[in-house]
Amino acid sequence: MPSIKRIAARVTAAAMAAVTLMTSVAYADEPYDGYNYDWWGDPVPSQNGYVVDKVITGADIGVGSLSEPSDMFFSDLGDLYLADSAYKPTSGSENAKGRIIATDENFQLKFTVESLDFSGVQDWLDMKNSELNTGAISQADFNKITNLSFNGPTGVYVDVDEGESTIYVADNSNDRVVAFTVDEIGTDEYKTSVGKVKVVYTRPDASMYDPSVTFNPSKVLVDAAKNVYVCIKSITKGAAVFSKEGDFNGYFGANRVEATGEVLMNAFWKLIFSREQAKRMRRSVPVEISNFDIDSNNFIYTVTESKSADTDILKKLNSAGTNIYTNLGYSDYTFGDALTKYYRGQTYSSQITDIDVSADGTINLLDLKTGRVFQYDDECQLLFIFGGIGQQKGTFNIVNAVESRGNNVYVLDGRKCSITVFKQTEFGSIVHNAIALFNKGKYEEARQPWEEALRRDSNYWLAYIGLGNAYLNEGDYDTAMKYFYYNSKSGYNDAFKSWRMNFIRDNFTVFAIIILVLLVGIYVLSTWRNKVRARKRAEQEKLFKERNKGKEDV
Amino acid sequence: MRFNLDMPAWKWPFYIMRHPFEGFEDLRWKKAYNMKVALVIVALLFIVSVCSELMTGFLFNTAAVKIFNIVPIIIRTIVIFFTWVIGNWALCTLFDGEGTMKNICVNTAYALVPYIIGQVINIILSNCLLRTESAFITFVSYVTILWTVVLLISGMKTVHQYSIPKTLLFMLITILAMVVILILLVLLVSLFQQVYVFIYSIYTELLYRFSNLEPTALIFIFIGVIAAVIAIVVAAYTAFEKHQIAKERKKLKS
Repeated sequence: MPSIKRIAARVTAAAMAAVTLMTSVAYADEPYDGYNYDWWGDPVPSQNGYVVDKVITGADIGVGSLSEPSDMFFSDLGDLYLADSAYKPTSGSENAKGRIIATDENFQLKFTVESLDFSGVQDWLDMKNSELNTGAISQADFNKITNLSFNGPTGVYVDVDEGESTIYVADNSNDRVVAFTVDEIGTDEYKTSVGKVKVVYTRPDASMYDPSVTFNPSKVLVDAAKNVYVCIKSITKGAAVFSKEGDFNGYFGANRVEATGEVLMNAFWKLIFSREQAKRMRRSVPVEISNFDIDSNNFIYTVTESKSADTDILKKLNSAGTNIYTNLGYSDYTFGDALTKYYRGQTYSSQITDIDVSADGTINLLDLKTGRVFQYDDECQLLFIFGGIGQQKGTFNIVNAVESRGNNVYVLDGRKCSITVFKQTEFGSIVHNAIALFNKGKYEEARQPWEEALRRDSNYWLAYIGLGNAYLNEGDYDTAMKYFYYNSKSGYNDAFKSWRMNFIRDNFTVFAIIILVLLVGIYVLSTWRNKVRARKRAEQEKLFKERNKGKEDV
Repeated sequence: MRFNLDMPAWKWPFYIMRHPFEGFEDLRWKKAYNMKVALVIVALLFIVSVCSELMTGFLFNTAAVKIFNIVPIIIRTIVIFFTWVIGNWALCTLFDGEGTMKNICVNTAYALVPYIIGQVINIILSNCLLRTESAFITFVSYVTILWTVVLLISGMKTVHQYSIPKTLLFMLITILAMVVILILLVLLVSLFQQVYVFIYSIYTELLYRFSNLEPTALIFIFIGVIAAVIAIVVAAYTAFEKHQIAKERKKLKS
């Protein structure tokens, strides 16, 4: 018979095991911890807004393995296009590298494109041939731009016009951007099809584009007027813009030069130097834009991937090329991780490599350095941070592209060659719902989801501002002030303005009486003091006279 | 005479505040320097600085207090005040300044009264005003700081009996002297810290050597060792003194 001690030990052990199991079940299964930034700019733990749904590889799509995919794009029809940059076609020439893969929303393969057909642009081919004969372009360049296959495509964009998808590919090493359609889908395993080329966008004339600078398109996008914007790493003047027909129109959306110490010093020396001396100085140039996206209202968002620069990390440009995200009142924007961290001999500061703007205006920024996605609402308020560097599901090696569709966010990893699908958590959907209501101006309807968000995460800064606005709109200024306190200065200012007005109006009689009493009191006091002083002086004079009665010289 | 100068000590700062130039002269003439009032003013300066960090309205609070730390405020007020006094005294006694340490201290403290009053007004205003009305707060702070500077110049001029250019020059040099004093202070503190670290490392060394002993016992041993060292030094010194005395006696005898 086991002793009581032993029984007790067994029961305890069982209980402990149960507790361990339960806690391991309850423990978050994400390899990253959600966090957010508070009013002081310090990171605080937060609920995850997005968790991993699944990870899709090339094999899941049915196209073999991917190799260094560098871009992906969701067309308006919901099809996913992938630029598989380093793929080697089985029967390709030496200069053939890369393919375009198209799948539907559920990652079912639609077609792949490895080769192009130039029969649709015979006029252009003839023109280039004559240019080759006159020596305007070299044989090597001609071979590149008329290459029948891709050579490291790094950017893909799909423009849907009346149901027809035109695929634009930034064909990096071929120095061109090709626009093509796919009419017939192949019957083999990979559904290999041929792209029928519509337009080819190539290096502009030497008069418009410095011949010594390379023309390697890295990303491409098309606006509503079918202008083609090409992002080139070697150009600091912004994105190159081509018309629909392929004529070069100029540059768009250059960054500003960051005001570093060196730049300021140069500006100072330029005041002193002669023109010849100034010419020889090192010119300060802005950092090139690294990626862009376009929203449904034709605003173009550009991002800058730079370790050092802080200016113009994210810009929202209107058609005139003016940045909308500057000088909006008191706020100044920061994107990515606010702090530069030094850890184990490496400096970590955000390098935003890709941007995606979803249909409802939510902005997803992809940070190359930390592998994190930073999600902002359309007023640049940080919503969620998720992802990270690592080997587990939901973390990455080298992130290349981010896209969003519906409630999901997709991240393309170029080293792991996979697409990670993040789905919204309940908390995420609550916040998004609240933001949507809030941005429509329905502050009171947004109150309930904001309160729910606060119940789940009391660190969630935006919820306080949302609730403050709700109460401000209701006219409950006292509560609004409480929510805005150390959360929003402008909100607090507005609430306090109304509160103060009400306070003065309600207590006007009290104020009036106090002021009246004070005035009367001061008057009475001063007259009384004057009287006392006069009496004292009279007494002193009297004393003085009495004391000096006998003396004549006073 | 319009003003009765036989007033209690606490009234002097306000009198000086209203009469920036002849006020200090009167103070000097009446020899009414009062250290107690000066110390109270310094204490008030410290309290008001703490209050302005904690009680300034949210709209105007640039300090952004998340974790309140009192040490910077102590340094900003009390330490700076006394380094100013010491630095000024140390310099000006060498250059024909007539001020004693006490007089400099009192004059400097009295000159700070407008600044303190301005801070109090600003704390109250910042809780009543909107962001668009910040001009009032800036106005108050500018005026009171200017007033304090004028008082300080006047006070230093009077206490040392300098001309105005000489006063300004020595005030500037005093600031340099303050920097030197503060650097030396920091050096001293870090030196003491190293001594502390040295003693602490000996303690941990002992702890590892005699790990079977109780830490409290170790402390006693440590104190004992120190006491023994001190005792040996003292004994040696007294022996040496005795030896000296004996020597001298011998000399006297011979």
